[in-house]
Amino acid sequence: MRSPYVHRLWSVLSLLTPLALAAQQTGAIRGRVSDAATDQPVTDARVTIEQTTLATTSLPNGQYALGGVPAGHHVLLVRRVGYAIARQDVDVPVADTTEVNVALRAAAVALDAIVVTGTGAPAERRVLGNTIESVPGDALNQAPGATTVDQALEGKITGAVISQSSGVPGGEVSVRLRGTSTVLGNAEPLWVVDGVIVDNSAQALVSLGANAGRGNAALSNRLSDIAPGDIERVEVLKGAAAAALYGSRANSGVIQIFTKRGGPGPARVTVSSEVGLSETPKKFAFNMAPNAGWTDVVYGGADSLGALVQRYDIQDSVWRTAFSTVSRVSVSGGSGGTSYYLSGAYDAQQAIVQAEGRHRTSVSATISQQLRPNVDVRLRGSFIQTHSDFLPEGEQTQGVLTSLVFTPTTVKPFYDPNLGRYPYNPVLGANPFTVLYTFQAPQDVTRFVGSAEASFRPVPSLTVRALVGLDDYREEDKYLQPPFSTGASFTGSISNPIKMQRNVNTDLTATQVAQLSPTLGLTSTLGYRYTSTRSDILAAGATNLAVGQTDLNGATPTASQGIAELRTLGGFAEERVAVADRLFVTGGLNVEGASAFGPDERWQAYPRASASWVVNDEPFFRNSGLANRVSALRLRLAYGETGGQPPNQYAQFDNYVNVSFSGQPGLVASTTAGNPALRPERQREIEGGMDVGLWNDRALAELTYYHRRTSDLVLSVPLPPSRGQASQLQNVGVVSDRGWEAAFTTVNVDKPSFSWRTRLSLAHDRNRVDRLVTATDTLVFDYLNAVIPGQPIGVFFGGYYARNPDGSIAYAPVSVTMQGKPYTLLLPVRARDTLPGGVIVNGRKVIGDPNPSLTASLSNTFDLGRRVQLSVLLDGRFGNKVANFTRRITELFGVDKEVEREITGDTVPRTFSLNPAGRSLIYEEYIEDGSFVKLREIALSLHFDQALARRFGAEAMDLRFAARNLHTWTSYRGLDPEVNLFSASTVSRGVDFANTPIPRTYTLSLNFAF
Amino acid sequence: MTHRDLRRTWLLPVLATLAGAACDLTLTNPNAPPEQTVLNTPDGLVALAVGMQSQYAGAVADFLVPPSLMTDEWGTTSKSLIAYQSLLTGQNFDPSYAVVLAPWADAYRTIKSANNLLAHAPQVPGLGSGLETGIVSLAKLYRAMALGTIILEYQSVPIDVSVPFPVPQPRTAVLDTVLALLESARVDFTSVPAAALTGFNTRVLGTGFNVLNTIDAMRARYYLIAGQYQQAIDAADSVKANVLSVFKYTSPAVNPIYDLSIRTGYVAALKSFKDQAEPGDARVSYWVDTTAAPITGNPDSLLLPLRKYSGQNDPYPVYLPDEMVLIKAEAFTQLGQLDSAAFYVNAVRTQSSSPVDEPVANLPALDPATQLGTPAQLLAQIAYERRYELFEQGLRWEDTRRLGSAITTTPTLAVLPIPLQECDANPAAGC
Repeated sequence: MRSPYVHRLWSVLSLLTPLALAAQQTGAIRGRVSDAATDQPVTDARVTIEQTTLATTSLPNGQYALGGVPAGHHVLLVRRVGYAIARQDVDVPVADTTEVNVALRAAAVALDAIVVTGTGAPAERRVLGNTIESVPGDALNQAPGATTVDQALEGKITGAVISQSSGVPGGEVSVRLRGTSTVLGNAEPLWVVDGVIVDNSAQALVSLGANAGRGNAALSNRLSDIAPGDIERVEVLKGAAAAALYGSRANSGVIQIFTKRGGPGPARVTVSSEVGLSETPKKFAFNMAPNAGWTDVVYGGADSLGALVQRYDIQDSVWRTAFSTVSRVSVSGGSGGTSYYLSGAYDAQQAIVQAEGRHRTSVSATISQQLRPNVDVRLRGSFIQTHSDFLPEGEQTQGVLTSLVFTPTTVKPFYDPNLGRYPYNPVLGANPFTVLYTFQAPQDVTRFVGSAEASFRPVPSLTVRALVGLDDYREEDKYLQPPFSTGASFTGSISNPIKMQRNVNTDLTATQVAQLSPTLGLTSTLGYRYTSTRSDILAAGATNLAVGQTDLNGATPTASQGIAELRTLGGFAEERVAVADRLFVTGGLNVEGASAFGPDERWQAYPRASASWVVNDEPFFRNSGLANRVSALRLRLAYGETGGQPPNQYAQFDNYVNVSFSGQPGLVASTTAGNPALRPERQREIEGGMDVGLWNDRALAELTYYHRRTSDLVLSVPLPPSRGQASQLQNVGVVSDRGWEAAFTTVNVDKPSFSWRTRLSLAHDRNRVDRLVTATDTLVFDYLNAVIPGQPIGVFFGGYYARNPDGSIAYAPVSVTMQGKPYTLLLPVRARDTLPGGVIVNGRKVIGDPNPSLTASLSNTFDLGRRVQLSVLLDGRFGNKVANFTRRITELFGVDKEVEREITGDTVPRTFSLNPAGRSLIYEEYIEDGSFVKLREIALSLHFDQALARRFGAEAMDLRFAARNLHTWTSYRGLDPEVNLFSASTVSRGVDFANTPIPRTYTLSLNFAF
Repeated sequence: MTHRDLRRTWLLPVLATLAGAACDLTLTNPNAPPEQTVLNTPDGLVALAVGMQSQYAGAVADFLVPPSLMTDEWGTTSKSLIAYQSLLTGQNFDPSYAVVLAPWADAYRTIKSANNLLAHAPQVPGLGSGLETGIVSLAKLYRAMALGTIILEYQSVPIDVSVPFPVPQPRTAVLDTVLALLESARVDFTSVPAAALTGFNTRVLGTGFNVLNTIDAMRARYYLIAGQYQQAIDAADSVKANVLSVFKYTSPAVNPIYDLSIRTGYVAALKSFKDQAEPGDARVSYWVDTTAAPITGNPDSLLLPLRKYSGQNDPYPVYLPDEMVLIKAEAFTQLGQLDSAAFYVNAVRTQSSSPVDEPVANLPALDPATQLGTPAQLLAQIAYERRYELFEQGLRWEDTRRLGSAITTTPTLAVLPIPLQECDANPAAGC
C-alpha cells in the first residue's frame, strides 16, 4: 500500500521541525562533565543550548560534543538527576570547536528528573504543572526490614498516610493519598508495576483479622507478593490533577513502580544476603495482683474477694524473637541490541507471634531487544509464590492476642493431661495455646505479573509505544478450627476459599515531539488504554469435623461462589506547549467507558490542564540580584478530573438472587434496586505550588496547596419499602479535601570527606463530608467510624461522658451487690441525648477523628567519605485519635494492670472491670491520642574498599546494619498506635483491637557485586 | 525512513483499534441471571414463582411478631430487644423499629414478585397454558395473602405500587382487592383441567400446598373479616377437610419461627396460655412445652418454650383446617343461626384425633342451650377456641377487633404506624 496520505502527513509534520538553521554558519562545542566534589566523570548528563533545539548526552567518560551550533553567544545548560543545573556562557566562533568543561554540584533535589505522567510518555518534572512524587529505588530497596513495597514507602511520600495495619509478615499496609474521597468505594490507590495494573485487594476470604464480611479488611494485602528488591523508582500521582488519564479508577491516586531493566555491558552480578531479628515493641501490662478482684470471683478464679490467687502471664510463650532471612541474586547486562535483567529472591520471616510466618520466592526476567535502530521490544515476567501461616487476631474472639486479652490472669492455660487438651477459656474465645498449636490458617499465592512492550520511532520525533500487561494469581486460603477446640459444643469448622484473579491491560501511546521554532515546542500524545479485571472466588467449607480432620470430606459441606468483572476502555489526547523552554502548558482529555455503568452513563470525559513556569530561566530573573541566591524558582498550577468505581460492578442491573423453596430452585429480586443511571464518582482537583531552590539548589523547598472535591459519591439511598426493594445505589454524596504539602531538602555539607543531606516533609489534609443522602444522615461503619456531614470521613461516633458545668466528668453512685454484700461505687455517667419529640436515649456524638492533622517525616543521610553512610528516617503523625478497643476489653475482664488498683484499694472496685452501669459503652473513655513519631529506619552502611572486596572475588562489597521501627515516641497506651483492625477499609480507620503490633526489626546484610 | 517503515507505523494503531473494538463493555452479572431472562423466559418465570413463595414463607415470623407480642401469645426473653418490649408494653414505641418495617417490607417484596409474574406470564408463549394459569393464579393468591396479612396490621396500605409514590388505601378498599384477587385466582385456576397443571405442580408448587384449598381458605378468612358471612360460610365449605397447605423449609432454609424462638431464643409463649386453658384442653401441649420450667421474660412475665415450631425444618401451615369450622361458627352466629354455630363450636371442641398435623382439643361438648345459647356466649366461646386452635397463626390481633368484648386480651396498639422508612422515602405515604 503506497499511501500518498502518509507522505502528506509526514510532510506537514516535517514542516514543524526547524530546518532554517542549516543555512547559517556554525561551529561546535565539546567538553567534559564532572562531579564538582569528586572530579569523577558524570555520564548521562543532558547538555542543551538555550534558544535552540540542540541537545546531547554525556558519555560514561563524561565527554560530550555538540555540532552545528550557530556562531555567536550562547548559554550552555547541563542537567543531571541529583545535580543542580549548570549554566555556562559560551561564544562559538564560525567553523571552530570551543571546549567547555562543566563541573556539576550536588543539588538537593532534581527538578528536571524524568518522570512518567500516566500517559506512558515520559517528561521532565519541570514541565509538569502537577506534583509527581518520585522515590528512588535505593531508598526502597535498602529500606531495612521492609519486605513489601508499601512498607518500604513509609515516610517517603509527602502527603501520604501509609500505615501497616497488622505486624504479621505481609501485614496489610494502607496508603491514603491526600485523604479519603469515597465512602463505599475503594480508597486505596491504583498500583501499576511497569505499566501493568496489579491487584492490591485486601479482600478477606476467611475471617482472620476483621470479619470476612467487612469490606477490604483482610489481614494481608496482595501487594505484599511483590518483593521490593528490583525497584528502580516509584512515582506517585496523588490525585485527579495528575492522574486524569487513569480515568474512572484513579480517584484515590495512582502509584507507579518501575523496575530495573539492565543495560549494555558485561554481566553484572549482585548477591545479597540479609538476616534479621524482630521483636514486639511492647508487651501487654497484665493484672498480676496477689489477691483476687471482682472479675476473678465472677469468672471462677477465686472464691472470695481478696483471696490469695495464682496468676499467669503467658506472654513469654506467645511472643518470640522472630528470625528472618532474605537472599537475592541479580544478573544484568547486555550486548548488541540485547539487554537483560534477571533476578531471584527468597525471603522467609517468622512473626513475632509464635507459629505465624511467611516465605516468598520470586523470579523475574526482563529482556529488551533492539530489533532495529528504531524498534525496541521488551518482555518482562515475574513469577511469585508466597506462603503465609496466619492465625486469627483482632476481632476474632478465638484470636491469639484476642484470647490473651479476654482471659483473666487467674486462668491456668497450660495443657491438662487429665483432659487431654488445653483447658477451655472460661470467659470468651479460646485458650491462646489451643489457637497457637491446633489452629491452621495458611495462605498460598501463586502469581504471574508480566508484560510485553514495544516501542517504535518511525521518525525521530514520533514514538509509538504499545504494552500488554497481565497480572494473574490464585490465592488459596484455609482456616481450620478443630472440633472441641474452643468448647465442648464446638464441632469444628474448616473453610477453604480459592480466589482466581486476572487483570489485563493494554496501552497504546503515540507521542510526537515538534520544535516549531526555537521558542515554541509541542509534545502531542494520543493513546488508548483498555483494562480488564476479573475475580472469581470459590469458597468451600465444612462443619461437624471429625477429630484430626483437615480436609472437607465427610463433614457437613458448604460452598459458594462470587464473580466480579470490570472493564474500562479509554482514549486520550494530550498536548503540551513549551514556550522558550520555561513556560509549559498542558491540556488533555481522557474519554473513558467502564462496564460498571449503564449505556447512558458509560462514557465519561476526564479533562486535565496544567501550567508550569520556570521563572529562574527567565532573563529578567537571571539578571536580577535574586538569581545569586535563588537558583531555582518554578510556579505550577494544575487541574484535573478523575472517576471512582461504585462498590458493586453490577449495580446498574436489577439483580436476582438464588433461593431454594421446598426443594425447588428459585429466584428473588435483590433488595437493592439496579440503577442504570449510575455514574462514576467524580473528583475535581486543583493544585498549585512553587519549587524554590536556594544557593545553587543546595536547598530546595517544594510547596503545594490542593483542593479536591469529589461529587456524585455513590451511596445507598433508601427506597419506599412499598416498592418491594430496600435501597438503590445513587450518585448523591460530596466530600472535599483541602491541604498543603511542603518538602524541604538541603545539602548541609557537601565535601568529599563528609556530606550531610536532610529532607523534611510535612503535609496537612482537612477532609470534610459535604453531603450525604440527607443532611442528618449518620452512617456508622463497623464499630464507631462514621460518615457525617460536616465532619471528616471516619470520625469516631459513640457514647460520651456526662460532664459537670465546669467540664469535668460527672460521677454518680451506683449500688452493686457482690457475694451478698452491698457496695456503692462512684462511676462516670454516660451522657443522654434528647431526641426531637422528647425521647431520651443514650447519647452519641463525635468523640474523635482518626485522621491525622499533620504528617511529617525527617530523613538525614551522612556520608563519611565514600566508605561509610548513616541514614536515619523519622516518620510521624500528629493529631490522630485511636480507639483502644484492646484496653476496653482488658479492663472489662480485669486483665489490665490498671485493675490492680481496684484490688489494692487505690481506686474503687469495678472502676474498670465488669462493665458497671454500661461504662464500657462510654467509648469516649477509649479514644486516645494516637500521635506518634517512629524511628522508622536507621541504617549504617559500610562500603569496603575494592582491595578487600577482591579478596572475596567481588568488585564491591557492602555491609549494612539497620533497624526498622527501633523506637516509637507516643503517649498512646496500647501496643502500637499505627495498627488498624479494619486494615484497608475506606471508612473504618484507627481501631486497635488485639492486633499484632508492627515489630521492631534489626537486620544485618551483606551485598556483593561481581 | 522508508515507505515500508511508514506503512508499519499504522499497523500498531490499527491493531490497537481492533483490540479495542473487541473489548465489549457490556457485561452481564455472572452471579445471577439478568432480569431480561427472569421475566421473559418460561424457566425464569418458574424460578420467580418459586422465589415468590420463598419470600412469603420466609417472612412468616416477621408477620407473626407484632400480632403475637401485642396480644397474649408471646413474650420475649431478651432484655436488649427494646422493640419487642415496646410491642409488649406499648411504651417507648417508635415507628423506626424494624418490627414495624418488616411485615410491610416483606409483603411488598412478595407483591413485587407477584406483580412481575402477573405482568409477564401472559407475555411468554413458551410457558404453555397450564404453567401460565397456575403461575397467574398463584401470583394472585400470594398477592392477596400479602396484602391481606398487612392490612390486618396497619391502618392503611398501598394497593397499586406501580407508581413511584404509592398512596396507602383504607382497610375496606384493601379487603375488596384481596377478595377480588382471590375470586379471580379461583376462576383462573379452575379454568384448566387438572392434567394440564402437572408441570405447575411439580416445578412450581412442590409438595404440601393445595392451591384451590388455600384460595378457598383465604376467601373464607377474608370474607369473614369483611363481614360477608354467607360468602365466608360457602368458601369454608369448599375447603376440603384433612388437606393441609404448608410452607416447607428444606435445608438450607429453616423455619423462621424456629429461628426466632429456638435458635436465637428471643420469643417464647406466655405461661398464661397454659394457665388460662380449660382443664384437659389437649391443644395447649400441642403448641407449648408444658413440662418445661417457666422462663422469666422481660418485662416480668413467665414464659414457656414453644413446641411449635421447634424443629428447624418444621413446616408452617398456611391455614389450619379448624379455622374453617370456627369461621362457620362465627358467621352463623352473626347471621343469627345459633344452632349451627353451636354445632361447629362443639365440632372443634370434641375432635379427638386428626389424620393431619393439627391441634385437637379433645374436650367435652358444651350444652347448646345453656352454654352456647346466646350470641355473646357463642362469640366468647369462639374467641376461646380460636385462641387455642389458631395459636401463633397471626390472627389473634384481628380477633380482638372482630370479637370485641368477647375476647380476654387488649392489644397494646390498635394498629402499627406506617414504617418510618416508607414515610421518609415516599411523600405520598401521608405520615
